[in-house]
Amino acid sequence: MNQSKLMNVLEKLLLPLADKLNNNRYLTALRDGFMVALPLIIFGSIFVVIANFPFLDRLLSEEAYAAYQNALGPASAATLSIMGLFVIIGIGYKMTEHNGLEGIYGGVVSLAAFLIMTPQVLEGVTGVIPTSSLGAEGLFLGIFTAFIASELYRYFVKKNWMIKMPAGVPDAVSRSFSALIPIALTLSVFLVVRILFSFTPFETAQNFIYTVIQQPLTVLGSGLPATIVAVLLIQFFWFFGLHGQIIVNSVFDPIWFALNDQNLKAFQAGEELPNIITKQFIDTFLVGMGGSGMTLAVIALIFLIGRSRQIKELGKLGAPPGLFNVNEPIIFGLPIIMNPLVLIPWLLAPVVVTIITYTAMSIGWVPKPAGVIVPWTTPIGLSGFLATGNAWQGAVLQIFNLLVVMAIWWPFLKILDKQVYEKEKEGSKQ
Amino acid sequence: MKRILLACSSGMSTSLLVSRMKEAAAARGVDVDIWAVSQDKAATEMRKADVLLVGPQMRFLIKKLSQEGAAMGIPIEAIDPIAYGRVDGEAVLEKALELIKRERNPHESE
Repeated sequence: MNQSKLMNVLEKLLLPLADKLNNNRYLTALRDGFMVALPLIIFGSIFVVIANFPFLDRLLSEEAYAAYQNALGPASAATLSIMGLFVIIGIGYKMTEHNGLEGIYGGVVSLAAFLIMTPQVLEGVTGVIPTSSLGAEGLFLGIFTAFIASELYRYFVKKNWMIKMPAGVPDAVSRSFSALIPIALTLSVFLVVRILFSFTPFETAQNFIYTVIQQPLTVLGSGLPATIVAVLLIQFFWFFGLHGQIIVNSVFDPIWFALNDQNLKAFQAGEELPNIITKQFIDTFLVGMGGSGMTLAVIALIFLIGRSRQIKELGKLGAPPGLFNVNEPIIFGLPIIMNPLVLIPWLLAPVVVTIITYTAMSIGWVPKPAGVIVPWTTPIGLSGFLATGNAWQGAVLQIFNLLVVMAIWWPFLKILDKQVYEKEKEGSKQ
Repeated sequence: MKRILLACSSGMSTSLLVSRMKEAAAARGVDVDIWAVSQDKAATEMRKADVLLVGPQMRFLIKKLSQEGAAMGIPIEAIDPIAYGRVDGEAVLEKALELIKRERNPHESE
């Protein structure tokens, strides 16, 4: 069988790649760092949604509406808008813990290192830290800083340079200094780097990372081609039964979150939203339709045209978790993995939906994602509404996309169902 | 009491399986503690478990955890994809119990 040979070869190539991407300690720390920040990000998002409830601006007087928004503002300003801080602490903590040291020291040393690298002046006023640099603008600098600070901290701890206490000093006293030297040395390195940057045309490390790395990467990531590549990679990994979203997210999340944050800022300021591709674009319009590969459409089709007992059972089993975008039963049960018959709709449908959604947003039929983070387990309809800043068009687009996916899957599911149905009939004759 | 830990990306799809496995265990009258966690908690939670079963879509986790698992005598295996797709609590429970048994009496099963 040539086909299964090819599958075997691909499996042998993909498993190590998945292993590398998922188990690389920097990418692991990055993903875990975002996990730490996620509850705060969602808390902030909830209040952005509440502050921007539809029709409120028409129900209330202008002053009352402004007062209402101002009262709720700090909820997102203290979480969502400065998410970089929490991601940095999370990365530093998790990396240091992984290195076998006390995590909290890694968290605070990363945070302090980042603040050292951050501009501490705004329009001539000193002694302030612009909150914008603690959000998406500083995200990439923060990630690199946390990586380097944690590694330096570990290096200096392992060097074991201690302050020698005279004999007779209690052990606990000398141990209390044990974190001092590694932290002092780590932060000194960052201070030197900061001073060196001040002599360059970039002036700050923040500006340097933003201009040289973050800006080009986010511009690339905000485009349709890069998004289609990411979507195809996710689907491709899943086809081999590997969690594509987890693997691809570890690379794309910093970009998608940064784009998200730019939209949030514009949304809150009442300006035009700059980006279509954001974290929400992926989570709401691709994952948020029953899980990766938009399998809610497959479940709906099963109820509509399924005849085989086995496939109908699967539909019943997959529907409740599918509504919350958990779709392993469908992926492994239909099965989608390693099933050449469904490879075409599996790869094609998400790309088509990506293009439709992108187009609908760029011509303005549907508002762009507002930058709020909606948990990926939010059911279809509601997630589209919330993600687009309380716009009904977002929900309608999701439903429309669902119908498109159903149309793409129709002939393939029909064949699959027929095959199983006929096997069942033969089985019952015997 | 047999302690069975399941892990996947966020502990969502494995938790579907947990309830089915508990039903299967109750039907058999086996005394078990079964719970599901997300991948970042797998390494610490496995210390409390007798066996760790990983969702097939996260099978690349096994390599990372296997060294520590071997040192602690905790067998780690990926869940069979077909049983996973069917959310077949009975089959996965059977597998888990078998792995625990084999770990405790390595010669008996051979």
